[in-house]
Amino acid sequence: MIKLALRGARANLGRLILTLISVVLGVAFVSGSFVLADSLRSIFNQVSEDAFAGVDAQVRGASNDMNSTNGETPRFNDDVISAIANLPEAEYTEGGLFSFERAYTIDANNEVVRPTGPPVFTGSWSGPSPVSSFRMIEGEPPTGQQVVIDPVQAERGGFVVGQEITVSLPTGEPEVFTLSGTIDFGEGGTGGAFFILFDLPTTQRVLGLPGQIDSVVVSAATGVSPDELVTAISAVLPDNLEAVTGEVVIGEQKEDFGTFINIFGNVLLGFAVVVLFVSTFIINNTFATLVGQRTRMFGLMRSIGASGKQIMQMVFIEAGSIGIAASGLGLVGGLGVASALKRLFSSAGGEFPDGPLEIRTRTIVVVIIVGMGVTLASAILPALRASRVTPLEAFRTGGRASRPLTVRIALGSAVLLLGLVFMAIGMFGNPGGTSATLALIGVGGALTFIGVSMLSAMFAGAVAGFIGTPVAALRGVTGRIARGNASRNPQRTSSTVTALMIGLALISGVAVLTRSILDSFEEVLNESISADLWIFETNQGLEFSGLLVEQLAELPEVDQVAGFSPTAIRIGDEVLTATGFDSTTGTSVVNMGIIDGTAEVGRNGIAILDSVAEERQLAVGDQLSVEFEDGFVTTLNVRGIFDDAAIAGADWLIDRDLSREHRITDAITFAGLTYAEGVDPAVGRAVVEATTAAFPQLSVQDNTEFQEEAEGQIAQLQVVITALLVLCLVVAFFGIVNTMVLAVLERTREIGLLRAVGMTRRQLQSSVRWEAAIISLFGALLGVALGLLLGWAAVIAIPDSFVSKLGIPWGQLVVYIIVGGLLGVVAAWFPARRAARLDVLEAISTQ
Amino acid sequence: MTAAARIVNGTKTYGTGDAAVTALRDVNVQFSGAQFTAIMGPSGSGKSTLMHCIAGLDRLTSGDAFIGDTRLADLKDKKLTELRRTEVGFIFQSFNLVPTLTAEENINLPLSLGGRSGDREWIDTVIDTVGLRDRLSHRPNELSGGQQQRVAVARALASRPTIIFADEPTGNLDSNSGSEVLAFMRRAVDEFGQTIVMVTHDANAAATADRVLFLNDGEIVHDMANPTADRILDTMKSIGS
Ligand SMILES: Nc1ncnc2c1ncn2[C@@H]1O[C@H](COP(=O)(O)OP(=O)(O)O)[C@@H](O)[C@H]1O
Ligand SMILES: [Mg+2]
Repeated sequence: MIKLALRGARANLGRLILTLISVVLGVAFVSGSFVLADSLRSIFNQVSEDAFAGVDAQVRGASNDMNSTNGETPRFNDDVISAIANLPEAEYTEGGLFSFERAYTIDANNEVVRPTGPPVFTGSWSGPSPVSSFRMIEGEPPTGQQVVIDPVQAERGGFVVGQEITVSLPTGEPEVFTLSGTIDFGEGGTGGAFFILFDLPTTQRVLGLPGQIDSVVVSAATGVSPDELVTAISAVLPDNLEAVTGEVVIGEQKEDFGTFINIFGNVLLGFAVVVLFVSTFIINNTFATLVGQRTRMFGLMRSIGASGKQIMQMVFIEAGSIGIAASGLGLVGGLGVASALKRLFSSAGGEFPDGPLEIRTRTIVVVIIVGMGVTLASAILPALRASRVTPLEAFRTGGRASRPLTVRIALGSAVLLLGLVFMAIGMFGNPGGTSATLALIGVGGALTFIGVSMLSAMFAGAVAGFIGTPVAALRGVTGRIARGNASRNPQRTSSTVTALMIGLALISGVAVLTRSILDSFEEVLNESISADLWIFETNQGLEFSGLLVEQLAELPEVDQVAGFSPTAIRIGDEVLTATGFDSTTGTSVVNMGIIDGTAEVGRNGIAILDSVAEERQLAVGDQLSVEFEDGFVTTLNVRGIFDDAAIAGADWLIDRDLSREHRITDAITFAGLTYAEGVDPAVGRAVVEATTAAFPQLSVQDNTEFQEEAEGQIAQLQVVITALLVLCLVVAFFGIVNTMVLAVLERTREIGLLRAVGMTRRQLQSSVRWEAAIISLFGALLGVALGLLLGWAAVIAIPDSFVSKLGIPWGQLVVYIIVGGLLGVVAAWFPARRAARLDVLEAISTQ
Repeated sequence: MTAAARIVNGTKTYGTGDAAVTALRDVNVQFSGAQFTAIMGPSGSGKSTLMHCIAGLDRLTSGDAFIGDTRLADLKDKKLTELRRTEVGFIFQSFNLVPTLTAEENINLPLSLGGRSGDREWIDTVIDTVGLRDRLSHRPNELSGGQQQRVAVARALASRPTIIFADEPTGNLDSNSGSEVLAFMRRAVDEFGQTIVMVTHDANAAATADRVLFLNDGEIVHDMANPTADRILDTMKSIGS
């Protein structure tokens, strides 16, 4: 039986290979996701371990649930260094100060040197020591007006050790430092992050934090365990500080990186699952067709004594051998996918640290299970069908009766309905937790697609006939034949294009959502923004010094200027984000839609989004107890209710004077300003730009530029997502090739007849291609229609503060439909050639 | 006047070396216009091969095949296809029609493949002759075997080819439908001056032709004019089939 099955697999090698490719793509994506995530995890684990290798204990400000949300760690007075160094348990003691994104090196072209993905750290380093995070690669540790950086940054900026480089500083005053050397963490490099390191006094000076540090790292004296060291240190620490072992620090670091990598890996896996899902339709279609074509053979085998079970086994063995092959190839392909993904993200602005790709046992096991599972599962129905072939069917000619359409319609409708219900619960119900929502939407979406695929067989013939009408009219009899063939086997047409349909549905759904986001954004900008200029960090909207607001306010050309900074606050026992803004000037740059009271909340006031106020039953005149990240508690008066959360950036608004006093840094995420009356915009802008020149990481943009920039960024995200989804189209492509090869084979005799009565090779090719074009246009139309539906559902499900109106990118959708059609034409290239090359006589005499 | 089609010293060998089979041995034959010729012979005697080679579906190993004045060996695939479309009509034993096209579209197929609409009046005459007027919009699977073969005959006639080849056109039909189809072919020759060459195993069918060629082992062993069923059967016996 096994031999027979394998022989069957070999006999159909060509089409099985095509099927194989579609499984391999899905499996490779799964394996690639694991490989990439695992490799990143290893690199970052290595980085964490290298960085804290010699550290037995670390002292830090006790962080609470509020300041841990914004990256910066609490600062404290540097006099603890000597207290700790004096302990007999301590061998080396070193205080340090670090900050995110506060300084940048400037290259010869006066451009900021920056990594595109990972952060830039500014901090202190006192040279190699047992507790040092860094190792010297070249040159000397920094002292005084000297700086060391990582080698990647040095290369990017074209810096050589010994030269003078300009560093832009948080205070807005660039200074020239001598590059005294380069550093990294060890084997793992720096994980892609940029470092700009000075000695501690210089760091404190340039960060504007004299006498402040944020950590002390200590190594234990011989014979002292890390735990003993921690105990000894804790005894001399003030209340607001804590000591932990190096192991704890490494663990926390790994966890931090791990969280990010897990999210990233899971997103990739999500795409992989979609691709796999799509390929199950292709596998299923292939097996169904193969079983259909071999009905007679199965009948014959039944009549000479094979049991239905044996026939079923045969089909499963065939499927299993594909599954094994696909798993193996997919595993290896995963390496390719991983590096391709790395490149894709790099080209889209992300940056991955270099490191070897890693295949873990877990990956191998998962890939084999997935590859086998998907293939076997797709073969279940065809195998069942094969097992039900009766001996009589060996002698019956012509097709067997397919399952009655009513059953299919009922089943398809049920599945579709179930899918829609699941999605609705996921979107509008509150299933509890993001993962539950995602699971419901995912399963619902899958069921919806299956349902539509089943139902589409119902109208595939008619619609394909309709689409083919212009083709028939334009291309004459060649077109008529193409149209006839496209609509003659609706079930096959519909299952062939399911992959295309799903791929395009997702892609156009994303396009609709993107357009909607942009349209909503544009509306917000037009209605709520009165600023003449915006200032923000170019790449990622990172924070920058709030000092700039004061500097701009002094310009005679500027009328009003307001900075905005997100601030963690606690109300009751909930940690929330409030936006701190300059409440006296803020309303002149944005309009957050005050519906009651005022936006000028003042130092002891707060404004609330209407829906939140309603939920919490708060109104103007009420009082609220609010805690800040430094532990300061105050009572704020509700002064205003607003209705536009998009522009406020948060549900709560407080005054920036209040927020800056209780935040670790005085940083803002953006600032807006208006020109003084009578100022020529060109002049005004020039003056503003002269001021911001000291902060080379900042962009100055007017509304239109701001909008264009946002569009560009969102469009880029769309490109990345679409690129990932394009893999579905690749799978779909092979599905179409597969079907067309099968169709040509099945119609060999008909092709022979056509050629005999005078159809030229060219005409034959053209008719096969048109057939594929019609089929795939059908899939594309269905897909884009579903995509519109998906996009619309998403717009409804996503809060209005993010997307408030449906935007339909007609141009893009039309392009997708055309691409879908062309996909069919290209997919039919090989089958069409094959058809054209058939020997006429042989074709006619085929049984 | 040149013959509608002819073969000069035609030899056809399949395969090479030990496996070589000679299907035609130095055959010389011509089919004159407006004549109905039947080809008979035992299975494997080379009847189909002869037809395929002269109809441009296959090439001779040596010798020449002509349709009218055109030497088939001179034509590349494209020209040969065009020739089949315009100068040759085909009627096969079964599966003669394209299942996705209606009867009418099938009849017009060779013409529409050439981008021509043909002589409408003539096609109407053909359709009426074969009695298919009320079946024109039907698809092949809605037609009986006999009706399908009649559509095939109409298709072969529609483009007024120089010559029509029919390979056992009645082989799959009951005797009634068979004789109907034969009657149409006969009428096409008598009334429209069509040239037809038909391979058949049936002596009665062959008897409706003007001339019967007998093939054995790749050679024409007998050429009978004005055949009758009895004479045909006698000849067949003498060949030993
Ligand atoms: N494609 C082919 N390859 C090899 N031998 C062939 C081929 N076609 C026909 N033959 C052989 O040529 C001889 C004549 O065949 P054919 O013309 O089909 O005979 P008929 O039509 O009289 O039954 C037979 O011996 C047959 O086996
Ligand atoms: Mg024959």
